[in-house]
Amino acid sequence: MACIDRASPALKQILLKLYRAEKSIEIDHHLYEFGSVEYHIQSQASNPLVAYLSLSIPPLCHGTLPNTLSSYTIEKIKGICPNLVEIEEPAREGFQLTLKLNLDHIPRNKDYVKVIEDISTIQSVILSSQLKEILWNVNSDDAVQGMYKPIKVVYHPREPFFVIRQPQKIIAIFPIRFKEKSDVIIATAFFQELVDVGNSDKWIKTPPCSWSAIPPPELRGEAFEDLNTNGGFVSFEISSRHVEGNRLDKTVWNLLNFNANVRYHVKSTKGFIHRRMRKRLENLVQVLHQTNSEENEQTKQVKKHQGCRYTKKLVKSSKHTMKQRWRTLGRKIKRIPFRLKIHGFTRFRQRWLRFPKFSSTKYTKLE
Amino acid sequence: MGSTLRLYLTCIRNTLHAAMCLQNFPCQEVERHNKPEVELKSSPELLLNPVVICRNEAEKCLIETSINSLRISLKVKQADELENILTKKFLRFLSMRAEAFQVLRRKPVQGYDISFLITNYHCEEMQKQKLIDFIVQFMEDIDKEISELKMSVNTRGRLVATEFLKQFI
Repeated sequence: MACIDRASPALKQILLKLYRAEKSIEIDHHLYEFGSVEYHIQSQASNPLVAYLSLSIPPLCHGTLPNTLSSYTIEKIKGICPNLVEIEEPAREGFQLTLKLNLDHIPRNKDYVKVIEDISTIQSVILSSQLKEILWNVNSDDAVQGMYKPIKVVYHPREPFFVIRQPQKIIAIFPIRFKEKSDVIIATAFFQELVDVGNSDKWIKTPPCSWSAIPPPELRGEAFEDLNTNGGFVSFEISSRHVEGNRLDKTVWNLLNFNANVRYHVKSTKGFIHRRMRKRLENLVQVLHQTNSEENEQTKQVKKHQGCRYTKKLVKSSKHTMKQRWRTLGRKIKRIPFRLKIHGFTRFRQRWLRFPKFSSTKYTKLE
Repeated sequence: MGSTLRLYLTCIRNTLHAAMCLQNFPCQEVERHNKPEVELKSSPELLLNPVVICRNEAEKCLIETSINSLRISLKVKQADELENILTKKFLRFLSMRAEAFQVLRRKPVQGYDISFLITNYHCEEMQKQKLIDFIVQFMEDIDKEISELKMSVNTRGRLVATEFLKQFI
């Protein structure tokens, strides 16, 4: 699923096409992706070794973060592929960031795919750094009775989630909403399994998660429209070990795409249920048709047996009558009186002038 | 649990065996028409007393008989909300494809999950004993299928949850 992969598949495909092209090609693409992201990729035939990538991405948290990218985010972008990527100042109109990609610096060996994939993860890098900034810039003035104010993070316009910073941990709370009741029930069954698995001994290193049908106490005081749900609330407790080193990016990306993961699971479960029902229908109908066909076959077999017996009777009777007729004919011929008496002819006639016997048991095939 | 199911199915089988004595009977109200009297219910003298066989509060079977047709309505057990939606989806799926079953009704009787309508023509085309076997087997298969679907959905959920949590390690 495109939104769950860190690298944008469409962007990766275009950059690979540009890199692998034998002749210089002109490219001017606009891409729109999940999370209200817009990409603009441009490359001219006159200068095939350079491509321009412009990016427009809304801030994760309106009011807390400015529309422009912070210096921390820019440092993170520069760290993607330092030799390859240069930030163009100023950015193109309508975009927050424009990158100049020097394609001749991409290695010619097998690593070029990985390099292009790293460039395609630019959206996830920006989002991760923005979320980190949100968490680091939480002011102590915002703390009320030891609890910090919840920060509303908007990755998808209709699916905001809350991040609450606490002294030893960070809690991420996801209000879940679905349009159909069946989706709510499938998602609730999934959350119960998630909580069971998360709380087992084998997965103790993962962030503890919980589900509740009512808003948790940390969200007290938030707007009613944000707390009005039909799928309950899922909470994750992120501690320091989940954000150490490389795990920070993974954790941030997983939290940003939790809602998308849940929806994808619900959709694929419904597809699975339909496939299974269709298969079961075929089996049930087959049983009914098999019953009918068994009945038809039984009646056919009874008729067939009756037919066989009749033909056998017919064959037997015809052989018998044939024999009888030959015998009578033979006798008649023998009784015919000859006017000319030839000495010894009677014996000749009896011996040689005989009709052949038909043997019913032996059959000689004529070739 | 298994013994109560056997008793329930045996009772239904015996009742169907007794009730499935159907013959052709033209409609008394409309000339040259032949309608299943159990659906019309316009002539009480052509209808037999309906029989309800209950396994428990959640599972029951209604058998309505008339001179030329028989209607069997089933209420399937639904222990929780997930079974409820799975049963609803599955039986609606089957009802929408009723022509494949010939004896299945497109809409269940109110208060029940699925209904069959057997007429004298079905009894002429198919063997009575095989029809009864099919209906009893259908009931067993539905229960089994719903349980398997529920288990599959939970297993899938568990696998997906495991894969999701693995990404945090």
